[in-house]
Amino acid sequence: MKSLIKKLVETVGPSGYESRIREVVRAEVEKYADEISVDAMGNLIVKKGEKKEGGLKVMLSAHIDEIGVMVTHVDKNGFARFTTIGGVRPHTCYGSRVRFLNGTVGVIGGEMLENANHVHAIEAMYIDVGATSVEDCPVKIGDVAAFDRPFEDLGNRLVSKAMDDRVCAAVLIETLKNVKNSPHELYFVFSTQEEVGLRGATSAAYSIDPDLGIASDVTMTGDTPRGIKMDVALGKGPAIKVKDGGMLADPKVVDAMVQCAQKHEIPYQLEVLLGGTTDAKAMQISRAGMPAGCVSVPTRYVHTPSEMVDINDLNNAVKLLTAFISETIKLE
Amino acid sequence: MTELKETLKQLISLPGLSGYESPAREVIRAAWEPLVDEISVSPIGSLHALRRGTGPEPRPSILLAAHMDAIGLMVTGIQEGLLRFTEVGGVDPRILPGLRVTVHGRRDLPGLVVQPPDYLLEPAQRGKSVGMDHLFIDTGLEEDEVNELVRIGDLASFAQEPMELSGKTIVGHSLDNRISVAAITYCLQELQHMVHSWDVWAVATAQEEETLGGGFTSPFEINPTVAVAIDVTFAKGPGANDWRTVGLSKGPTLAWGPNAHPYIHKKFLDVAEQLEIPYQKEYVPRHSGTDAYAMQVVAEGFPTMVIGIPLRYMHTPVEMIALKDMERAGRLLAETIVRLEVDFMDKITWDEVKDEE
Repeated sequence: MKSLIKKLVETVGPSGYESRIREVVRAEVEKYADEISVDAMGNLIVKKGEKKEGGLKVMLSAHIDEIGVMVTHVDKNGFARFTTIGGVRPHTCYGSRVRFLNGTVGVIGGEMLENANHVHAIEAMYIDVGATSVEDCPVKIGDVAAFDRPFEDLGNRLVSKAMDDRVCAAVLIETLKNVKNSPHELYFVFSTQEEVGLRGATSAAYSIDPDLGIASDVTMTGDTPRGIKMDVALGKGPAIKVKDGGMLADPKVVDAMVQCAQKHEIPYQLEVLLGGTTDAKAMQISRAGMPAGCVSVPTRYVHTPSEMVDINDLNNAVKLLTAFISETIKLE
Repeated sequence: MTELKETLKQLISLPGLSGYESPAREVIRAAWEPLVDEISVSPIGSLHALRRGTGPEPRPSILLAAHMDAIGLMVTGIQEGLLRFTEVGGVDPRILPGLRVTVHGRRDLPGLVVQPPDYLLEPAQRGKSVGMDHLFIDTGLEEDEVNELVRIGDLASFAQEPMELSGKTIVGHSLDNRISVAAITYCLQELQHMVHSWDVWAVATAQEEETLGGGFTSPFEINPTVAVAIDVTFAKGPGANDWRTVGLSKGPTLAWGPNAHPYIHKKFLDVAEQLEIPYQKEYVPRHSGTDAYAMQVVAEGFPTMVIGIPLRYMHTPVEMIALKDMERAGRLLAETIVRLEVDFMDKITWDEVKDEE
C-alpha cells in the first residue's frame, strides 16, 4: 500500500492534465478489470462484475487530478507569473517548489512586501526556474506544474503533496483487488478535474447511470493544536460523510455504511465537514438523482504540499469499502 | 380551506430538514393522494404526483415545484454533554440563543440553544451576537446519557409551534417553503372541478436549501413542457423596504428575469389581469434562489417561471405569511393551467417580450 501511494503521489497531474497519472493507475488496475475505458473527460472507468439478484449498479469515484499552477506570463528576465489550478492558497506557495509536466523544476518567490507579516497575493509571486530571459526559460504561458515534495514515510503517518486524492485512488485500487463475488455491477472511476468543479465525475455519473454513487476523498481533521472545530481525527478510522460544504449524504447510505462498519468491527468516524465537497455531490444530482455517499480519509493540512494521512485509516477504508460492496446493500 | 390550513399547520410542525424530508413527504403524500392519478418518490426523495389532463396524447405537461425541505441544525460534536452544531441550509445565528429545538437523536430530545456568558468571551467578541461556533444545544441530560443518545450528524429542528396572528397571517418555521406546498395543494383542489388539457405534475422537491437537488433531478425524470417553481420571497418588514421586497398580503409575485421565460410570465400575468387576481411584479436580475434556476438547465433545458409568496423574517423560526397570498397563488396556478391550450407551446415565439411596467 505504501509503495503504491508513493508511486501515485509522486506523479504530476494537475486538473485537466491527468494523462500520466491515468497511465500509472491503468497499469495497476488492468489485471483486475472486466472492462476498462477512458471517456471524453479523461476519466478512467474500470468495470467489474455483473448485476446479480439483489445487486445494484454502483459507481465508486476517487479523483486523480491534483491542485497546481499554470504560467500566465514570462517576463524578460525569465521569471514566470502564474495562476492557480484548484484551491491553492497563497500562504502555501512562497518558498514551495513546483514541477512542470516537462520536468522543469522551479521555486516560488515573491515581491518585497511592505509589511513582512502579510502574505503574498498570488499576483505578487512568481516561479523562478533558474532562467535569465524569455528565450532560455524552459516554460511558457499555459504550462502547468504541480507542487513538488518528496513522499515521507513517518511510520503510521505518511506525508506528501497530492494525498488529496491519490490516497483514495489507492484505496479504490486495493478495493478492486480485494472484491470477490460481489452481487453488484461495479464501476471504479478514477475521475478527472474534481479540483475545478467535480467535472469528471459529472460526466461519468451521466454515462454510467448507476443506482448508487460512492465517492472516496480526503476530509479535514480537528486534531491539531488550535485547529478547526471538527470531530474527525487521524488514525480513528475512515470517516463516513454525513454532510459537507456541498451536499448532504443520503441518510440511507450513511446508515448502511455505519451498519457495515459495525458488523465487521471496522473503526469509523462520522464526518460533518463545513467546507469543500466531493464527487458524491455530482453523482447525487446526476440525471434523475441517486442515493450518494462518501467514505473519507482523514487528512491534515489539506491543499498544502505536505498533506498527512494515517496508514491505518487507509487500510480500514479499504476494508470498509470492500465489505460494503461485497454484500447486498439495503437502502431503507 | 380550514382543512388546508390545518394541513399547513401540521406541515410546519414537522422537521423534514434538507436530505431528511420523509416526515414532511408523508403528510404531503396524504394530502395529494386523493387529488392526483399517480404518485411516486424520486431517487433523492422528491415527491412526484401526476394529475392527468384531457388533451390527446402525447400531452404537454406543467411541472409545479415547491420544495418541502426545511432549514435547521446538525450536530457536529459533543463537548461535556453539550452539542456543538452547524446549519443545514442558511440559518441566521443572531436568532438562535434561547431558541427551543428538538434534537433527533436515538429518540427525540427537547433542547435549547445556549450561549456562553458575555463576560467569559474574548474581548473582541463581547457585546456582539455570538457566531454559531460558540453556541451549543443543551438537552439538560447527563453527559453519559447524551453520548448514548446523540451522535455526530444528528439533526435538530426548530420547535416553534405554528401561531395564527390577527389579519389572517400564520407564523412558524419552514413556511419557507411549505406555504408553497399548500399553494400547490390549493391548485390541485381547484382543478378537481375544472377541465385542463395539460398534465399537471405536482412536485415537492428535496434538498433545495442545500443544493437545489430536487430542482436539478425531478425535471430529468418527468421531462415537462414547462416548469414552474413556487417559492417564498422577501416581504416588506422592519428595515426591508427597497425594490427587492414586496408587500405582505398584496398577492403572489410574478418573477421577471433570466430564470423566468417571458412568455410563461406573460401567460400568468394575463390570467391574473383577466380574473383580477391581485399580483405583484418581482424583478429578479440574477439567480432566483429557487428550483427554477436548476430546472431551467436540466437535460435539454425547460422554459421556467417563478411564482413568489411574500414572507417576512425568512430563515428564522418565526417566518410570517398571509394565507390570502397562498390562496391567490394556488388559484392563479389553477386558472392558468386550465387556459393552457394543447398548442400553447406552438404559439410561443422567441421575440422579445416587453415588460409592460
